[in-house]
Amino acid sequence: MRKYWARLAVAAVVATTVAGCGLGGGSSSPGGDSASAAVTGEIKGKVTLQTWALKPKFTDYMQGVIDSFQRKYPGVQVSWLDQPADGYADKVLSQAAGGGLPDVVNLPPDFALPLVRQGLLLDIASADPALAQDYVAGGIDAYRYAGQPGAYGYPWYLNTDVNYWNADLLTKYGLDPAKLPTNLDELIAQAKVFKEKSGGQAYLMSRKPGLGDLANAGVRIMAEDGKSFTFNTPEAAALLDRYREAYQQGLLPKDVLTDKYAGNAKLFSTGTAAWTTGGGNYITSLATDNPTLAPKVVPSPAMGTPPLYVQGLSVAKSSRNLPTSLALARWVTDAENQAAFAHLTSIFPSTKASASDPYFSKSDGTNASAAKVIAFSSLAKAAVLQPVQVDQAMSDIVNQQIALAISGGTTSKKALDDAVARCDQLLKN
Amino acid sequence: MARQQPVTRQHPTALQHPVVGDRSEPRGRTDRTGRAAGRVRGFNSTSTAEKVVRYLLLLLVLLLTVGPFLWELSTSLKAPTEDIFTRTPSFLPRKPTLGNYAEAVRAVPVWTYAANSLVVAAITVGGNVVGATLAGFALARLRFGGARLILGIFLATLVLPGEVTIVSQYVTVRSLGLADTLLGVALPGAIGMLNVLLMRTAFRAVPGEMDDAAIVDGANVWQRLIHIGLPNVRGMLSVIVIFAFIGAWDDFLWPLIVLTDPDKYTLTVGIQYLNGTFSANPRVIAAGTMIAFLPIVVVFAALQRFFFRGVEEGAIKG
Repeated sequence: MRKYWARLAVAAVVATTVAGCGLGGGSSSPGGDSASAAVTGEIKGKVTLQTWALKPKFTDYMQGVIDSFQRKYPGVQVSWLDQPADGYADKVLSQAAGGGLPDVVNLPPDFALPLVRQGLLLDIASADPALAQDYVAGGIDAYRYAGQPGAYGYPWYLNTDVNYWNADLLTKYGLDPAKLPTNLDELIAQAKVFKEKSGGQAYLMSRKPGLGDLANAGVRIMAEDGKSFTFNTPEAAALLDRYREAYQQGLLPKDVLTDKYAGNAKLFSTGTAAWTTGGGNYITSLATDNPTLAPKVVPSPAMGTPPLYVQGLSVAKSSRNLPTSLALARWVTDAENQAAFAHLTSIFPSTKASASDPYFSKSDGTNASAAKVIAFSSLAKAAVLQPVQVDQAMSDIVNQQIALAISGGTTSKKALDDAVARCDQLLKN
Repeated sequence: MARQQPVTRQHPTALQHPVVGDRSEPRGRTDRTGRAAGRVRGFNSTSTAEKVVRYLLLLLVLLLTVGPFLWELSTSLKAPTEDIFTRTPSFLPRKPTLGNYAEAVRAVPVWTYAANSLVVAAITVGGNVVGATLAGFALARLRFGGARLILGIFLATLVLPGEVTIVSQYVTVRSLGLADTLLGVALPGAIGMLNVLLMRTAFRAVPGEMDDAAIVDGANVWQRLIHIGLPNVRGMLSVIVIFAFIGAWDDFLWPLIVLTDPDKYTLTVGIQYLNGTFSANPRVIAAGTMIAFLPIVVVFAALQRFFFRGVEEGAIKG
């Protein structure tokens, strides 16, 4: 709750302070009057680069990338800041409000949106004409926003979701790890078998549906112009009805609808749930948390369209050294540096040149490596499923309404209508 | 001198209670022990069954509050080969190790961060002890124009949650030139309004006759504060010291926003580095948390006997 209030307050103040103080360059129609010409100029001087939670594990890697940049352009001085994981959105927003946004800053698309609205970020698409040529379309598209011309970040590393199954539990409760479900019908059918055999000791399904699941069922979440929500369709209602039925049959844990719900990844690691979704590096982190469980995990491709998670580097429009900032952002995200990064952990480069790198498409036989290959091949058809306009307040509303529908407290249609109406209202503010 | 003044009703009392603070203490104590004695008699008359129920309830609450903490402690001692998340939490590490603590200290400069936290905590505690005492005393004992208005304003600021003012606070600190400094972190919390109110309550609880008597004896405001006020509010002061210390030590969002240079991070912000992207090890995070928690235990242990008296004062007289 505290966090929520902080977010809300920070966002509100940024909206007013930034416009009021003219710190963002005073443009009231962001993007509209930005220079549409490519940024050119001498690459030298001081720039700041801000990343998110990469220290201490990737300190050497990042320092190496920065050092090579400074070697290539003598006279350039990069000061690197790495921000802790928690509270990053608040940190960035307060930097923006105080006029102290770093020159190059690591922002996922949803964090970048409020800054784009205030005209604080540089339109990379017009500043660097080669953007579309070198980076995958999905990554760039994540930084295009409805109603804002241009793209506001260099895509950096990508990730997606992979299905993870607890093979021990599946075998124990009458399922075959070689025949994993690939769609909702099979999932529900297998969940029934699982429930009968386990007697409610463990669950196969342990997650209520979200906007991503609706998008996967072919529901359009938002209107093209990004100004209203459209997910209250009959298909969406039908999906919720299926989940309600499954919930009433006891195929999902009882507290999946409440705040007590710890998340399916947590239930998976305690052995209560036999299925979870996670990024390409999930098995590696599971091996740290629960070393005895990790070897029993079998990965399989996500059902439907896999979600695309994008990290990127944006350049502050207020930067006093745009040419160098732009060159640095491009340097950090270029094919070579991204490939080196991806070899250190299970993330994937956003450069087209890396698509043919055999490192990502060959498994060394371990389940962690198999997951990496699955994730990499999923990326080709992955898409951003949840629109960036959906903020915490809206997700809370959507979650509450979906929970209400699944518990049987209201009809699916009504729950979705209510959620759309209230999210539209928030969107207008 | 005051003693030559015409006799008032307070005058004899003033003679019986010299201005020296220590002498006024015993009176307070007799009162308290008198009350305590009454409680003891009541307790003796309870039946065994009731006692059992009481202890069971106490144990239950103890488990609820201490449970998560014990889990963190045991996690921080678990070896890399042990599972962290299990259906039934296991509290006893099978292969206890201190390796996670070494890892935490190796991964982040814990001592530098702890020193930064200490600086912030020292400024905050110092500011609150001095500032809240002075302000609380002024509001409780001095008569001046606008006293009620000021009290009202103090109360009004309490209504706003800190998070709402956080950005305007940041802009203020930044324009003072204190962004990215430890002073900038400590300053907004240096005088807590709630602490001022607590001190005001504590000072008001000191019988007014003592003050009047001191006035009769010719004590000025400072003397009354130091010799009559302070000795009677030591409990409340220790409450403020502990709360201010814990508040400054545990604060995360505000130092994160003010500080930019990682070398200046406070401990709570700094140990977040243990929770990095793709590299979170719950054992090491738990070890870092335990390290950060130790100073609070030390401060509390040092002040706890005053602390509980302070709570008692506030509860009975406030």
